[in-house]
Formats: sequence, structure tokens, C-alpha cells
Amino acid sequence: MQLNRNMRILIVDDYATMLRILRNLLKQLGFENVHEASDGQAALKQFETNKYDLVISDWNMEPMTGFDLLRAVRANPETDATKFIMITAESATENVIAAKRAGVNNYIIKPFTSEILQGKIETVFEQQVA
Amino acid sequence: MNTAEKLDDPVPDHSEELASREDNAIPLREVIAMAEKVTSALKPLVRSLDKSMYRELRDMLNCIEELRGDLSKVDPDDIFSRRIPEMGRELSAIVSATEVATNSIMNIAEQVMDADKSDPEAYAKFVEQHMLAIFEACTFQDLTGQRVTRVIQTVEVIEERIGVLCRMIENNQITPNAPKISETEKRNRARLVKGPANKGEGIDQDAVDAMF
Repeated sequence: MQLNRNMRILIVDDYATMLRILRNLLKQLGFENVHEASDGQAALKQFETNKYDLVISDWNMEPMTGFDLLRAVRANPETDATKFIMITAESATENVIAAKRAGVNNYIIKPFTSEILQGKIETVFEQQVA
Repeated sequence: MNTAEKLDDPVPDHSEELASREDNAIPLREVIAMAEKVTSALKPLVRSLDKSMYRELRDMLNCIEELRGDLSKVDPDDIFSRRIPEMGRELSAIVSATEVATNSIMNIAEQVMDADKSDPEAYAKFVEQHMLAIFEACTFQDLTGQRVTRVIQTVEVIEERIGVLCRMIENNQITPNAPKISETEKRNRARLVKGPANKGEGIDQDAVDAMF
């Protein structure tokens, strides 16, 4: 799938404030079809009845982390092609390597700017075109 | 203690003389005289034993007094019933204050973003008013700064008292038990959760980008 301003985006974070910030940033970038989940489990529940083109997820969440959500999404043939960007404060090299091995498409370290978010979304979809 | 060294006048050895006597009868006078000699020979030893035991007990008592003094400086009641709960309350207040301020600022930003821009003059006035409200919301930083200072002071007190405990452990050659890893810590390790890195730790966005 190519970058499409109407694509379905699922944002996952256990902080309501962060969800609100992400929603507003995405809105400013022209993405209006944005859905929310408060942790990995809630996100997987939404995947049961919805399809998403892109997941933007935090790592550290209860009860299910973004890393476990990523593995679950990649393990399911119906969702394994979904683009996945991790936005997290976890900046240890081993975390980035683990996420990459698990199939994350890109990784953003908090705090971040709207330019970084936009750049990563574009890169992720360029990767697919290439 | 070397017993032989403490005896100034060792007890004379009469064993051979007594064994050589053919009648096997020892007069009571001789037995009493020998007992007196033994008693008087042992007196310095008993006295020195008394003194050394007294010194040992005195040292033990001093050591216990010193430990009691150090322990009273640690004052665990003050740490656990006052300082740590107070620190928890301060940190909760900081979280609440930042949350309230963030929500206020975001409300304002959303209002500005959604405002009618058809009349530039009215829009400019609207934005200006809302910018002032953002400045007001930012005053939370002053309060949270003061709360953080109080938390730092409490941490310093706890650090000082832990220092006293550490010195006690070193001075008394106590081998501390290996610290237990909490269930939360074990779980976080399994989930690769470490939280935000401090300055100079972890990797930055440029390094992450290079990995992708």
C-alpha cells in the first residue's frame, strides 16, 4: 500500500495525553482516519473486527507491551503486512535491535517532533513501494 | 591467654615425693599446707582472668552502644512513616500538575487550530488571548520545581542514613545479603522495559535511523 492520507491508523498508548498529542499531530499532517487503543491487548481486540494500514505504538504499556503487540501482529497472517512504527522512550540499543528483529518498520524515540513522525510514516510507505 | 605466664609462683610439684612414701598416709597438716600453696599460687591467675573477662565484656558493651548510636541515626521510623510517604505525595502532585497543565495547553491549542480563520483580525485577537492562557498554564513549572527540590532533599537525607548503615556494615565486617530483585523488576527485564534513558545513556534518533 502506498502512502494515503485516508489510510486507517491505530495509535496505541496507555497515556490518554499521548494519544491526544498523536491524534492532533496526525491531524495536522493530514491523517484523519485515526483510531485509538490503550494497550497491546486492546489493540489486538480492535484488530479482530478492523483492518489497519499502520500501527503507531508505545512500548511500555500494561498489561500488554507494544513489543508483544508487534510480535502478535507479525505472527498473524491476516495482520502481518500492517506497517508498524514504535514510538517509545525505550532507547537502549538492545530494544531497537529486538524490535527490528521482531519486524518493526521504524522506531521513534520520545520526545519527537511532527517532522520526525511525518518522515517516518513516509519512509515506511516508501519502503513498501521500493 | 597463656595460663603458665600468669602464674608468678608456680605450684611446687610434690607428686614424686608423695608417690615414694611407703605408708600411703598423708597427714592432714600437709594436705592443708599444699592446698594453701595451690590457692595462693592460683590467685594471680584468677585475678587476671577476672580483669580480662571484664575488659572483653566492656568492649562488647561499647560496641553495642556504638551500634545503638549509629542505628538511632538511621531512624527507620522517620524514613518509612514520614519521609518516603511524603516523597510519594510530592511525586503524585507533580504528575497531577503536569497532567492538568498539559491538558490545559492542549485544549487551548485545539481551540486555536479549530478557530475560524476567515476574519484575520478577529483570529489574531483570538490567538493572542489564547497564547496568554498558555503562559498561565505554564506556571505549573514553578510549583513542580519546588516539589522536585523537596523530593531531592528527602533523597539526600535517605542517602545520608544509608551511608551510616553502609559504614556500620563495613566496620563490623558484615557480609550483606545479595539484594533481592523485585517482581516488577523481573517482569520489566523480561519485557525489555527500562524506561527513558538519562542524558548520555541510550541511543539517539540519528543512531536509530542508521539502524533502519
